[in-house]
Amino acid sequence: MIYFDHSSTTPIHPEVSKRMYEINQDHFANPSSVYESGRKAKSLIEHARFQIAEAIGAKRSQIYFCSGGTEANNQVLWTLINQKNRHIIISAIEHPAISKVLEKLKVFGVESSLVPVDKQGVLNTSILLDSIRNDTGLISIMLANNEIGSIQPIQKIIKQINKHNVPFHTDAVQSIGKMNVDVCELGIDYMSLSAHKFYGPKGVGALFVKNRDKFSSFIVGGNQENGLRGGTENIAGIVGMGLAAELAIKNQEKCIAQLNLLEKHFLSNIRQSLPFAKHNTTNNLPGLISISFPGYKSDILMAKLDRSNFAVSNGSACNAGTIKPSKVLKAIGLDDEINLSTLRISFGKDNTIEEVDQLIKALNDILN
Amino acid sequence: MSGGVDSAIAASILVEQGYNVEAIFMKNWDEDDKEFCTAVEDYKDALQVCDKLNIPLRSIDLIEEYWEKVFKIFLDECKIGRTPNPDILCNKEIKFKAFLDYAKEFGADQIATGHYSMISNQNGNFQLKRGQDENKDQSYFLCRLNQYQLSKSIFPIGALDKNLVREKAEKLGFMNHDKKDSTGICFIGERNFKNFLKKFFSIQPGEIIKNNGQVIGEHQGLMYYTYGQRQGLGIGGGYSDYEGPWYVSDKIIEENKLVVVQGKNNSELYHTHLTASNINWIAGVPPKKNKNITAKIRYRSKDTSCKINYRLNDILVEFENPQFAVAPGQSIVFYDQDICLGGGFIETRGNKNIL
Repeated sequence: MIYFDHSSTTPIHPEVSKRMYEINQDHFANPSSVYESGRKAKSLIEHARFQIAEAIGAKRSQIYFCSGGTEANNQVLWTLINQKNRHIIISAIEHPAISKVLEKLKVFGVESSLVPVDKQGVLNTSILLDSIRNDTGLISIMLANNEIGSIQPIQKIIKQINKHNVPFHTDAVQSIGKMNVDVCELGIDYMSLSAHKFYGPKGVGALFVKNRDKFSSFIVGGNQENGLRGGTENIAGIVGMGLAAELAIKNQEKCIAQLNLLEKHFLSNIRQSLPFAKHNTTNNLPGLISISFPGYKSDILMAKLDRSNFAVSNGSACNAGTIKPSKVLKAIGLDDEINLSTLRISFGKDNTIEEVDQLIKALNDILN
Repeated sequence: MSGGVDSAIAASILVEQGYNVEAIFMKNWDEDDKEFCTAVEDYKDALQVCDKLNIPLRSIDLIEEYWEKVFKIFLDECKIGRTPNPDILCNKEIKFKAFLDYAKEFGADQIATGHYSMISNQNGNFQLKRGQDENKDQSYFLCRLNQYQLSKSIFPIGALDKNLVREKAEKLGFMNHDKKDSTGICFIGERNFKNFLKKFFSIQPGEIIKNNGQVIGEHQGLMYYTYGQRQGLGIGGGYSDYEGPWYVSDKIIEENKLVVVQGKNNSELYHTHLTASNINWIAGVPPKKNKNITAKIRYRSKDTSCKINYRLNDILVEFENPQFAVAPGQSIVFYDQDICLGGGFIETRGNKNIL
């Protein structure tokens, strides 16, 4: 298989995988236990916390481990029901782990405003500013989008809303290792992270919380994670995430260069050989390409690429595998027909020019 | 591949025979209908089967086509008091049309389904035959297919008994081997038919009358009742000396009246002839005269000998034995022994012994 779907998930880094195996073998003790092996487990977690903090310019005490980006997002959003100000502002292209949560929160009186995005998938800052109300309790804007890769000017936005003093959350799940992410520079209050998007394991993520006053637990149980997240820690997962973050930052420059190279190579070749193809957003995460092939159904394209052993993605598949027009693509102004003829190709650090050439050839064989 | 055992074994047989097989999961009904969204569960079952067979599984969304070409017509027919059979339309318009077209786009040469029916190619003339398993035979539902559709189709399990299909599935380790057979109309599933229809029709109460005109109850709308129906009429005793159960014998659409009679042997419930329109002859031409033709007036009815009189716009069918509760809107399907000849929609019915 040639894997071009790194925005869905990434293969685990061999070093991370090896480390996790060791942890599972040698450090099974409960980190809450006070005997030696328990203490060792706890210190492994603390080291991972340090690694995550380093990766995003945070303090160790601001990092809380959880099961992934979805849980991190949920935890931040559900705090709304404990506060007086229950209005939230999000962008029109948030992940369902944000937008669907708000449907649930409606019954608790949480109201939301949706800020539209332009054709490049970048949100309209002035509409965002106009949407701020006296009772706005949270703004949640993803750093980079998972379907089209558009990057939001979070830093600029936060500077402009500063006087309103509204807490700001960003879903940065797609961004780690692919762009600089610094919580202080950005000026955000909360940030969601997920290990499996940067060559770490699935089932583990982290939440950055700038100031834990006013913040409360979501999964309630034992006193783990400083009382903010109950449940015995997923030690191997957490250690794996820490190492994956360290490696991602260490290799970031090289990775970005490779992704840019692959993207440029792919796009220039497609532009020549399949000039009718439409590249949807340009100012995006390196290596994430949303491209439409008007006149061709994406599920047929996917099936044919699958037959040639390519893994790419299209739209938002429902649980029974059928494709619905993507809300994100709708938000950047694609009509349903173009929407359903769109593929997402997301390269990874280990993809090669030769692999991209094979994809270009396969697309040409199918489409010409 | 539906996630059921029949299409699973159909696929496994083709794999065994060396075909290049890909499975396609078809979604025809919107999952927003939470009460009945078994699609996700079915998809997972299909996925497990495909994993065992090492074949790809793809999905297609035919929700819009199903709504337009099957469900709307189903509702229109119900509205005028008829008894439609959406599965027959589904086969004609969806499985063997929209789905077939899509499969060809996917690159397929032929499609296969888990129908209990057989196709025999007689020098380029395709015959549809009953399934081997008498109890499962599904040729009735395929009566509106044409030569082209049959030429593109394979029914791998048509010569098998259901028991054998389940046995094979168990041997192959398919987790759906003991999954319950689906019954009833696919989009209604195990739900109550009346409650389902209530979502689409308002209650239109009217009188329930005896065939002498005497009012003996109230109905909630003619679409909620079918010909020959016995249960759920809500008629108490005391309307006659004879205490047998009541049956729906007729619907007077113009007056919104439901006619009932008492006792299953009541002659009002039996019909000796009917007219049918929109006849589809699978061979492309009507059968030769003087052929021994039998017919089924609903899926579960027994074959009965009949005579077909061709008229300008419809056919008049006379039965050797009177038939119970012939229902306008249902399909009458004709057979020459094991060959399914085709079928049409029942329009009117009558009983020469009464008229």
